[in-house]
Amino acid sequence: MTISHFAQDAAQIALDKLNRGEIDRRSFLTALGGLGLVAAFKPGVAMADASEIVVCNWGGAAADAFAKAYGDPFTKKSGMKVVIDGAGPAVGTIRAMVESGKVIWDATDGGMIDSLTLGKGNLVEKIDYSIVDKSQVPEAFAGEYGISNYVYSNVLAYDAEATKGVAPTGWADFFDTAKFPGKRTMCKWIQGQLEFVLMADGVKPADLYPLDVDRAFKKLKPMLGDIIFWEGGAQTQQLFREGEVVMGNIWHTRANLLNKEKPDQFKWIWEQNILSASAWSVPKGNPAGKKVFEFINSTLDPAGQLVLLQLMGNGPSNPKTLALMSPQDAAVNPTTKENAASQIMLNPAYYAEHETELQNKYLDFISS
Amino acid sequence: MRNFKRTALLLTLPASLVAICLYAAPILQVLALSVTEPKPGLANYQNLFANAAVGRVVVTTLKVSIMTTVLTVVASYIVAFAIIHMSAGLRRVSLFLVLVPFWISVLVRAFSWITILRRRGVLNGALMETGVISSPLDLVYNLLGVTIGMVHYMMPFAILLLYANLSDIDRRIMQAARSLGARPATIFWRVWLPLSLPGLALATLFVFVFSLGFLVTPALLGAGKTLMIAEYISVQISSTSRWDLATSLSTMLLLVVGIIVFAAMRSPALRAAFVARPQQ
Repeated sequence: MTISHFAQDAAQIALDKLNRGEIDRRSFLTALGGLGLVAAFKPGVAMADASEIVVCNWGGAAADAFAKAYGDPFTKKSGMKVVIDGAGPAVGTIRAMVESGKVIWDATDGGMIDSLTLGKGNLVEKIDYSIVDKSQVPEAFAGEYGISNYVYSNVLAYDAEATKGVAPTGWADFFDTAKFPGKRTMCKWIQGQLEFVLMADGVKPADLYPLDVDRAFKKLKPMLGDIIFWEGGAQTQQLFREGEVVMGNIWHTRANLLNKEKPDQFKWIWEQNILSASAWSVPKGNPAGKKVFEFINSTLDPAGQLVLLQLMGNGPSNPKTLALMSPQDAAVNPTTKENAASQIMLNPAYYAEHETELQNKYLDFISS
Repeated sequence: MRNFKRTALLLTLPASLVAICLYAAPILQVLALSVTEPKPGLANYQNLFANAAVGRVVVTTLKVSIMTTVLTVVASYIVAFAIIHMSAGLRRVSLFLVLVPFWISVLVRAFSWITILRRRGVLNGALMETGVISSPLDLVYNLLGVTIGMVHYMMPFAILLLYANLSDIDRRIMQAARSLGARPATIFWRVWLPLSLPGLALATLFVFVFSLGFLVTPALLGAGKTLMIAEYISVQISSTSRWDLATSLSTMLLLVVGIIVFAAMRSPALRAAFVARPQQ
């Protein structure tokens, strides 16, 4: 689901940086580790073995040496090896594994919403908070079946050249084609989309859920001709670079990269940004048993989360990381106090219940 | 002879096994899922017909496929017709140029079209420079962009199919028509075109069936607003986990394509396309 789209995208950002020489290989691997992402796409490496932790993530982007770079610190501390499987912890895959009794993963990076879906299906273990230090993250990030290791935001980014220096002040301006003529972009995956439409229509943050889908569609309908729907983070940068759109609802990590490219032209606002949390889950009957929670606990460490922010812009789930940040770090971080002033949080419980139906309704709506 | 036949049959065994394991078995699995997920029965198919959203996706798919087929076949016929009238050397160069796109990935081709068609793209730039238009045209991220991309993808296939058919037509028939006083236009409409029907029918069938299952081009050039069956199925598999919907829709698509091909093969024009012609 969307969390996987985001995690893959974050890895791509790191890979691009590595290729441009902005970061070294080691930092790159560390960053992937923080994301719970890794390269080595080796089916078969992930063998059930009680002396190691097998982490499943969305893989793809990187080199095979990561397991060593990422596993070493944890191995030193615990004596356990960390093996990464990039096969992608789709809900369906986890379900098939658990039901057939052949679980090979210990921890999966599937997001808060997936953790709820899995929990409801009795497919994942409860997070053992006698081992994982719950106090390291805010309450909303420590769910019964999942705990967050990073966060990201949907923000309103704009092309200041096209708006002649005028900054939008909130989502309402997304719909103000008189004041800001030109095309817009928003995501074709539902998470964080109807929220902004409803806020633009005057719905108070507290009244967002359950989402008033009909109201959102009604507001969006006259705009459809002016909207290009994106499906991956790189595409959002492309659309802005090519002057195809003047503003859009995009991930803050991509807005940050655009801004670094052309600081005077590409900007974004934090007003009414929509925060999402990633989460680790533990499939039922995982091979390493309780040991996995020590690993999960180690990913909540502020030092590692800061590295992740600096390399890719993913916000930390541990608020203690804030104290370690330079002003530059804090400026691009969605959990910094000023940036979070008018922030709303995506409601995972709502999505766990309605996402499938909502996603299909939304696709039908935008394509008709 | 009998021995030879047996050996020949044996030789096809490895390929058949691969096809069965990697192709037939997964398709049967999809078929099985469509009647068992989430519970056994034909409810998924019932839901499919009751689902208005699926109906709209099917209509979009048909619209795009028919448009693509008509444009591709007409344009390809013109190109193929020109190629068979060229000198041998020029024909080789032309056929080479037709083949070039075959070696370029469908992704690269889609992105190239974006570069050409976008608001600040090559085409809009040129038109604005020369003063033909004053503000950029919306050429991509809509139905038009999807159609352009798909026609471009299909044309090499259609050109080659038509070229094969046209080069088999006996030119002495045209000479005979001319000697009987037919004008060039009459020769085209009353001799060339009727003789090209088998090729046209084959190209039309091929392009149409191929278009029905298109994924990458509509997804990239349509920007979410041109939702075709293949993309819809892919979303139901990977994003929404609606396997019931995905598998029943896949099976229906396969069935419909099968029926179209079966019905088309019974038409005289298509049968003629497959009949061995005497070599000249």
